[in-house]
Amino acid sequence: MSGFVRFITRRVISIIPMVLLIVLINFFIIHLAPGNPAQIISGLEQPSQEVIKALEHRYGLDKPLVVQLGIYFKNALKGDLGYSYIYSEPVITLIKERIGATLLLTLTSAVLAFISGTLLAAWSSRYKKGILDSILSILSYVLYAMPSFWLALILILIFSSNLRWFPTAGMFNVRLSLHGFSRFGDILYHLFLPVLTLTLIQIPVYFRVTRSSIFQVSRDEYILTMTAAGLERKKIFNKYVLKNAILPSVTIFGLTLGYAITGSALVEIVFAWPGMGRLMLDAVFKRDYNLLLGIYFVLAVCICIAILLTDVFYAILDPRIRYK
Amino acid sequence: MSFMRLKNVDISYKLENTSVRAVRSFSCDIERGDIVGIVGESGSGKSTLALGIMRLLPPNASLSAETMLFDGRNILSFNQDELRKIRWKEISVVFQKAMNALSPVHKIFTQMYDVIIAHSPDTSKGKAYKMLTELFSKVNLPSKVLNMYPHELSGGMMQRVMITMSLIHNPKMIIFDEVTTALDVITQGQLLDEINRLVREFGLTAIIITHDIGVVNEVCNKVAVMYAGELLEFGKVKDVIFSPMHPYTKALVKSHPDLRIGNELIKGIPGSLPDLTDPPGGCIFYPRCDVRLDLCKSVKPEVSVLGDRIVKCHRIQR
Ligand SMILES: Nc1ncnc2c1ncn2[C@@H]1O[C@H](COP(=O)(O)OP(=O)(O)OP(=O)(O)O)[C@@H](O)[C@H]1O
Ligand SMILES: [Mg+2]
Repeated sequence: MSGFVRFITRRVISIIPMVLLIVLINFFIIHLAPGNPAQIISGLEQPSQEVIKALEHRYGLDKPLVVQLGIYFKNALKGDLGYSYIYSEPVITLIKERIGATLLLTLTSAVLAFISGTLLAAWSSRYKKGILDSILSILSYVLYAMPSFWLALILILIFSSNLRWFPTAGMFNVRLSLHGFSRFGDILYHLFLPVLTLTLIQIPVYFRVTRSSIFQVSRDEYILTMTAAGLERKKIFNKYVLKNAILPSVTIFGLTLGYAITGSALVEIVFAWPGMGRLMLDAVFKRDYNLLLGIYFVLAVCICIAILLTDVFYAILDPRIRYK
Repeated sequence: MSFMRLKNVDISYKLENTSVRAVRSFSCDIERGDIVGIVGESGSGKSTLALGIMRLLPPNASLSAETMLFDGRNILSFNQDELRKIRWKEISVVFQKAMNALSPVHKIFTQMYDVIIAHSPDTSKGKAYKMLTELFSKVNLPSKVLNMYPHELSGGMMQRVMITMSLIHNPKMIIFDEVTTALDVITQGQLLDEINRLVREFGLTAIIITHDIGVVNEVCNKVAVMYAGELLEFGKVKDVIFSPMHPYTKALVKSHPDLRIGNELIKGIPGSLPDLTDPPGGCIFYPRCDVRLDLCKSVKPEVSVLGDRIVKCHRIQR
């Protein structure tokens, strides 16, 4: 097990330079983008030179980039990600209020997509080239090509507007102030459609990868050994084929999780989900450097943690990884 | 009645628009306690035959035969469930590529234990552990290997694990498919000695597939010489190797450094295997034979049975 501990320690340590590098790159990219925040903060179409100067001075935008970066890092270490120009609130407060909702949405849908995509693949591979397998394959192409916001709108149209089964927007009913279990139920009720959208969008990748991986593994030598040894097919499939076939989708899980956190922004906006989606969009359009940097910083950390967890999970599944 | 009787076994693999006729009209009898070597160059259909006997051919393969008897039963007519019951319990196999023969993500013990309970479901883990440790000591493996993963073992160790695994249910017959090919010479020697000992200790009937006629000479009492999917010569090792009758066997023996007689030069066999998607009509060895007759090109030689020896050559029939 010591190999395992060493493996995890190494991975955790490698996160630190990764996050620093991401912040560094983001910092420069954001400042390279055209547009002047001072103009937007002033709220004027064509502010005078003095106004711009004054605003730039107030927010430290007149200092050289490197100095700005230094200040940013220094403050970030103290947990201060700066002040949002447009919301007039500390960035960290803005993010704290919303990140929970985003994570709830993305993590739930990513895990659900992983599980259902894998199970569907396992199920359909038993009827290889049969009708069921073909239908699922075609369906997965359709879903794969579907834009998430469009699917979100369609689902709202069907389940909210027509059937009235689910709410159209929000995370909880603001008119009722629920507590405890009923609040939890209320959130689940609001969560259903956005999660359904994001899950459906993500299922195809897991389905296709696992499905082809199952066919691949079924031809591997050790499956032949187990068949030769007289194990029952069901046991061979459930124990040996599946565990080996699941490995590629675990890798994908780590990769898509990063994408999912940012990729859910559009779906959040469609469902008026109080997550980081709206925040991110505002920050981009209004050149709110600090807010944007803060969001990217937090996302980078989230993604790194997600990838780390995936790696650990992978290492638990595949002993060969720990020794590399 | 022979322990295993194969008569006119044909196996072909279907490809896109052709089929490879990997084994054609293979017939031979194996007696209880025989250790039969199957030699032949790469691609001659040895592994295919082994898989055919185990009824483990891939889905694109088709098998037909006049007779396939194993210990008095017609295994040709067995359904999947009947096959499952004799596999490993009565006949087991050690495959050619040992390194990939076990799942990379399960411990050796887990996999061994699953093989044990596939046929003896009531075996406890403790009992299994004890039994495997005992078997391991017979092939010089430490018991800690049981708690390891396949990638932590060397090729030789892995092959020993597979040999142990083939012995688990005390089968009547084991097929060893080129078990020593991928190993260094020293490990090869050790492993052969171990196999030799085990086969006798367990009173096994065995088929040993190999490229190496020297291995046959050391371990087997009978030998089948295969070429391009056909059996060309079959008989006792002392007859076939020391007075080969088929030109191909003669060439094979000559190409082996330890078996050639006197100081003749080691000679390879010029040419290569014929196209198995469309095997030639006459003698399969005709294109490479140095004593061929005109007749060999167009007429397939009959099998000549000379006592307990089989040869397929026009030269013998005359
Ligand atoms: N799954 C398959 N599909 C199609 N053709 C195959 C398949 N397996 C084997 N063959 C073909 O069948 C022929 C016999 O192959 P086989 O593996 O039985 O030879 P072999 O005597 O075991 O050779 P080697 O000494 O290299 O192991 C070869 O021409 C090979 O290309
Ligand atoms: Mg082979």
